[in-house]
Amino acid sequence: MYISLLKLILNIPFLLVLPGMFFQAAIFGWKNKKMAFLERAVLSVPFSLIIVDLIVLLLNRMNILIKGPILIFSVLLFSAVCFAVFHWRFEKKKKTEKDKGDPEKIFDFSAWQTVFILLSLFLAVFIRVAYLSDTIIPSATDLGHHMYWVQTIINTGHLPDYGMPDFIIGEHMIFAAANLVSGVGVMTSMPAILLLFFNIFGIFTMAILVGRIFRNPNMAAVSFFVAGALYAINPPQGRYVSGGVIGNVIGDMLIPVSIYFFYRAFSEKNSLFAGLFLFSFGGLLYTHHLSTFVLIFSVAAITILHLALNFKNIFQTIVEWIRIYFNPFPIAIILLFAAYFFLIFTPSYFNTAAVGQATGEPSKATRVGLALSQIDGSVGSALLILGVLGFLLILFEINPKKIKYSVALGWLAIVFLMAWKPGWLFVNIPSDRVGNYLYLPLVFLASFGMVKYFESFRASASRFFATVFLFTILFFVITNGLSDSADVFKSKNMFQQAMETFHSGEYLAATTDPNQDVILKDHVNIYADSWYKLFFMKDYKYPLSRGNLSRYIDPTKPRETCTRDMISTPETEAAKACFSETGVNYVVVNAQSEGTSFQKYPDFSQVYASDYIAIFKRD
Amino acid sequence: MSSKIIIISTTILLIVSFSTLFVIEAKNHDYDYKKIWSAAYFENPRDDSLDFAIENHEGIDAKYGYRIFSNDEKLAEGEIDVKAGARQKISPVLPGEKISGTRVMIEVKYNDENYKIYKDLK
Repeated sequence: MYISLLKLILNIPFLLVLPGMFFQAAIFGWKNKKMAFLERAVLSVPFSLIIVDLIVLLLNRMNILIKGPILIFSVLLFSAVCFAVFHWRFEKKKKTEKDKGDPEKIFDFSAWQTVFILLSLFLAVFIRVAYLSDTIIPSATDLGHHMYWVQTIINTGHLPDYGMPDFIIGEHMIFAAANLVSGVGVMTSMPAILLLFFNIFGIFTMAILVGRIFRNPNMAAVSFFVAGALYAINPPQGRYVSGGVIGNVIGDMLIPVSIYFFYRAFSEKNSLFAGLFLFSFGGLLYTHHLSTFVLIFSVAAITILHLALNFKNIFQTIVEWIRIYFNPFPIAIILLFAAYFFLIFTPSYFNTAAVGQATGEPSKATRVGLALSQIDGSVGSALLILGVLGFLLILFEINPKKIKYSVALGWLAIVFLMAWKPGWLFVNIPSDRVGNYLYLPLVFLASFGMVKYFESFRASASRFFATVFLFTILFFVITNGLSDSADVFKSKNMFQQAMETFHSGEYLAATTDPNQDVILKDHVNIYADSWYKLFFMKDYKYPLSRGNLSRYIDPTKPRETCTRDMISTPETEAAKACFSETGVNYVVVNAQSEGTSFQKYPDFSQVYASDYIAIFKRD
Repeated sequence: MSSKIIIISTTILLIVSFSTLFVIEAKNHDYDYKKIWSAAYFENPRDDSLDFAIENHEGIDAKYGYRIFSNDEKLAEGEIDVKAGARQKISPVLPGEKISGTRVMIEVKYNDENYKIYKDLK
């Protein structure tokens, strides 16, 4: 156990820090006044993730088996090439005047700011770890589905053909790479630990975005508290980590990175940052469709708002922006991703049918938008109030010429509209999923709002009312923002149920014939059942599964009902026809619920019984 | 300097956190650690064999009772000691004429828990 732990601990910096660090060295050198140490350290992680993904995609295209030694060699080779580029670009040439000097002091925190940041980070990590410690055994449904594909990559050495747009390759490559390099299996804590790592670095990427855009260390420091400690468990935080919502967790780390470089490219007219914006955007494109969708809308809204606010100089602004991208580095990145896209690997969701499904008039009740009360419930009252406070305060000091105001206002406005009235934007995706992205612009504005409010409090003429208001808002923020975290300590783990589920899976994998037997399991009443497929590795849809009952009712199209009927009403003629049609001859159910019902049916033998699981064989 | 302190502290915090989670998972990813349950199952569910096994995950050594019925007629019974965390296989010897074409049920009992498994034999 401890050797595996050590391997995992060493594996994380090797895969998720080293390549990004050398990549940045090749671009900026070891020291560059444009990038502070904190920014470089933080950006090493998202860059490394993208680089490892690109390496795996390339290996797969070259038909090289994706195995541990190959990956280690590839990462080292990439780092060596970057080092050579760095040496060629920076070591042999004298530093130009432009590159000389220390980075700006934005991220030079005072002692008190440092203490505040460390306390916020400690609280953020502590709450998440406390929550995860009760769910750390592999059990989450989404994570189980994802890990099937990860195990497929591990077993075959090739990337899978999903045959469906639901999964994106970037959600799986890094987990497969972590397994192949460290040897730590997917049915361990490894996936959750990596997701927690990305989630924590999402807090950091928000902090560098806030710090860089507002050029204010106080705001960067406060963002650690707002992003890390407030609603640390609610989606898209702890619950998404334990639930294995991989795309969202990685998306929440990469979206701030993309906007960070987008902002810096335009505000500093720097083509390197423009190239890195495209690079992080390309990485997101291979990782999560919904996050990409939200980013595209966000960038478009920021751009349009900025152009609208500077309408007099619109053509001059557009020409300036285009010039930034007509430089060797951005063009090279565009060509790189074009080559990847068309020649190496096209993301599974990139087809007209999938794009058509996500755009247009909302087609389902779950896609018509969230009511304001639902938005409040989704992001949390404290964050919403702080964000709105920030939004209002930023309006007071708006300077249309500066793009940071367009970022602040345009980002929140567009994500809010996507969640509230998606029909206005022809967005046709589940509104609750979009609503979770409000967390990003709200953290951004809340950090601004809190600091600005404190500053105005100091200058307030009426100290008494300002103090009362300040403590009221702080009390509300802390009690409401930490309320979900308090629930963590009341929860009870379900480790025994998970292990009994795994035991029954092992039993069936050892005793059934995958060519003759067909298994149906119940998702409704069995915990950790989605991990069942990892015991068989036969097909993504194997074993068959009775899903949540609401899924069988769809007014827009008929749904198959066999998987439901074979468990809910196995003695009906319809169910008997289903058994014949599907060949199902093993049924796995919860021993306490359907288990007792099945014992009454004469067509079945019970071949396995535990406290939690019952397995029946159809004779 | 403050940035370096933040990064180093976060690295230490993450190493401690990851180690904690890893150890919690590794310990609990075990059929016996802090768990109380048992299982009874046929060794081969695909044929007419009545060999079955009892697994003891009750946390202590346990004595299991079992009874074998053919269409409600008791054919055999017995008791077996199973060590904590162990698995015990039982191969009952039953008269062929009494079980042929019947439903044979094995009832395993431990304290108040009953585990029933059965097969319809040809």
